Amino acid sequence: MKIYSLSVVHAPPSGSSSVLSTASDLSSFSFYQRGSVAEFMTFFTKTVVDRTPQTQRQSVQENMYTAHVYNRGGAEQLAGIIITDHEYPVRPAFSLLTKMLDDFTAKVPQSQYSNPSSVSFSEIDVYIKKYQDPRQADTIMRVQQELDETKIVLHKTIESVLQRGEKLDNLVERSNALSAQSKMFYKTAKKQNSCCVLM
Amino acid sequence: MAIQDRTNEFRSCVESIRNRSAVPRNAEAKQRLLQSSGKPSSKSDFSRMASSIAKDISSTTIKLGKLAQLAKRKTLFDDRPVEISELTFIIKQDIAGINKQIAALQSYVKQRNGQGTKSGEGKQVEEHNHNVVMMLQSKLANTSMSFKDVLEVRTQNMKESKDRTEKFMSSTAAAAHQTPPSTHALSRPSSKGKGRAPQDGDVLALDLGSAEEGMSDGHGGGAFMQMEMMEQQDSYIQSRSTAIESIESTIGELGQIFTQLATMVAEQRETVQRIDADTVDIASNVGGAQRELLKYYASISSNRWLMLKVFGVLIVFVSPSRVPFGQPHSRAFAVPCFHSCIMSTDANCVWHHIWTIS
Repeated sequence: MKIYSLSVVHAPPSGSSSVLSTASDLSSFSFYQRGSVAEFMTFFTKTVVDRTPQTQRQSVQENMYTAHVYNRGGAEQLAGIIITDHEYPVRPAFSLLTKMLDDFTAKVPQSQYSNPSSVSFSEIDVYIKKYQDPRQADTIMRVQQELDETKIVLHKTIESVLQRGEKLDNLVERSNALSAQSKMFYKTAKKQNSCCVLM
Repeated sequence: MAIQDRTNEFRSCVESIRNRSAVPRNAEAKQRLLQSSGKPSSKSDFSRMASSIAKDISSTTIKLGKLAQLAKRKTLFDDRPVEISELTFIIKQDIAGINKQIAALQSYVKQRNGQGTKSGEGKQVEEHNHNVVMMLQSKLANTSMSFKDVLEVRTQNMKESKDRTEKFMSSTAAAAHQTPPSTHALSRPSSKGKGRAPQDGDVLALDLGSAEEGMSDGHGGGAFMQMEMMEQQDSYIQSRSTAIESIESTIGELGQIFTQLATMVAEQRETVQRIDADTVDIASNVGGAQRELLKYYASISSNRWLMLKVFGVLIVFVSPSRVPFGQPHSRAFAVPCFHSCIMSTDANCVWHHIWTIS
């Protein structure tokens, strides 16, 4: 479950899209393959963005990679693309794209869109590192995970409470027996005092 | 109720009565009246117009009846929207035309009255005209009311059929119908009939004033293309909602687990209380027993009278068997000594005596 690349693309409807910011994590490929894979990523990104209409989300599957695209359109006409393997869950991918685009629009003014090289959006690297494990990064998944852990802890607690119940039952029996014995003891001692004056 | 021309009947009745009565009382006036309306071809303008209006109203009523029949059909697929819409259009135009005719008639009547009236006969004619106009107007009002009712019935049926089709077709159709047409106004000239008819009917039913129809042709057709787009959006949104619902259910389960935990601990509290009571009982029992034993011990160790008496009896029973016969004095001597020892309650003295004696 890994992310291969993450990019923000300026996609006006006229068709000439330009990549504004990109980050990729190609560590899983051997050193000599990385160049060609990177080129493929860029090509894939551009093609898919060109074919996604505005305000649409799409997921495209290539033989080994899946690309999730969210063409937000709007005033800035931005689109976010994430290229992952097949196992990466879809919904956190889209929420990551939404978050990234919001961040991007907040940080980079629209005037820089025409000059891709001047755009510096370092958070994209942070994002790609953080989201390699979506369970921790995505809020909903993290909450779900914590809740599951809590549930496990509670199950163990209930088991220990059951054992406590058993031990308490044991205690009750023993205390009952002890109480009876001490009563007999008392009665015998009392009997000693009253009758049998003859030692 | 259609307006029929029973003038001929009336004339024949009058003729018969005149022949019977043969009283020439205002016969000339009557004759004049009758003759003025005797020739079947020469009717006054007013009556001609009135009769034409009445005929139109009757034909409109018949068409309205047909429309009501068509609108009552509740079948899902055999709806004939084209017929219904055509018929509705025709009826509307007819009603408008009749309205205009009645207005013209009214103005004609006013004009005639304004021109100058013949006394007596003119007044009656004027009253008659006025009444006829009122009757025609009321008939027209009734027709238009029933027309409105029929249109309401039709809209209701169409709404029901739409609901039923939504139940059978996929839910995306409903989403498509709700899509605002502003996002993608794809107008398709070739559209499916079902998509078209509700739109047209809705426009007709709700827009009685305008005589135009057939607008928004492309709405029904364009919606289907948007369905696929919406599915993608929907799936993301739906997956989010399912994830959140699962979180919600997990939290609910956690709540239940806590409740169970609380119940179990509450049950165990009762057990603990029993153990507590038992322990207290044990403590009190053991304490009481210790007291008793202490009392016993005290009584034993302090009760020398009892012990000495017991020992004395024992010695008395034991010693006579051992003392020989020839020594009565030692025994007599020993006994007062023994008694003095007992008086002094000295155990050692007693023991000493016993040993010396035996």
